[in-house]
Amino acid sequence: SREDRKKKRKSRWTDEACKTFIPGLPTMIPAGLSKEQEEAYLLQLKIEEASRRLRSGDLGIPLNPEDRSPSPEPIYSSDGKRLNTREYRKRKELEETRHESIQRMILINPDYKSPPDYKAPQIKVSD
Amino acid sequence: PGMSGMSGPGLPTEVLCLLNMVMPEELTDEEEYEDILEDIREECAKYGEVRSIEIPRPVPGVDVPGCGKVFIEFSTDGECQKAQHALSGRRFSNRVVVTSYFDPDKYHRREF
Repeated sequence: SREDRKKKRKSRWTDEACKTFIPGLPTMIPAGLSKEQEEAYLLQLKIEEASRRLRSGDLGIPLNPEDRSPSPEPIYSSDGKRLNTREYRKRKELEETRHESIQRMILINPDYKSPPDYKAPQIKVSD
Repeated sequence: PGMSGMSGPGLPTEVLCLLNMVMPEELTDEEEYEDILEDIREECAKYGEVRSIEIPRPVPGVDVPGCGKVFIEFSTDGECQKAQHALSGRRFSNRVVVTSYFDPDKYHRREF
């Protein structure tokens, strides 16, 4: 029932004491920004956040295994190592978010300079 | 870029806008939508009297204004300010929450 579901699930909010500060990107912004300004700001925040997580290895994997999302079927390499580990999947997700946000940013702001370590992924053409 | 020198949040109003909170696809599922609404209502009630909440939901083929944002109307701007200080920079579904005050007239006209 709805009541049972409510008891079981965890709030999407993180702890009150746990806040994220990204230098140069305040989390309180002025009212009345234009749609474009607002989008550019949020993209910038997403890019910085994904870059920071990839760099630091803080991938946002919950410590408690019960809070983690279900894993897909494992894929192993020829020498028996698991390829699609949670860490691998998280990194891939962050890289994709970062890439999509940078591409969108370039589109809406031609003056935007992508981060120095950013390389647009090669599009592989299979023959 | 383009955001340096952006001044602070400005004068408080009684309506708080939360950005970078929800993805439109999370709002299409009825249960998920209800859970999100409940999480926000419960948290915001700690900082004041929540008069109303608006979470614009996606409609196929329509560009819904404000979709992806959450608006909360408090009974006073003081409560709204308290909520802003408490919620800015927290994470919701692992995304960093960004906030701004919102024009109450626009809110009531649903000009998101």
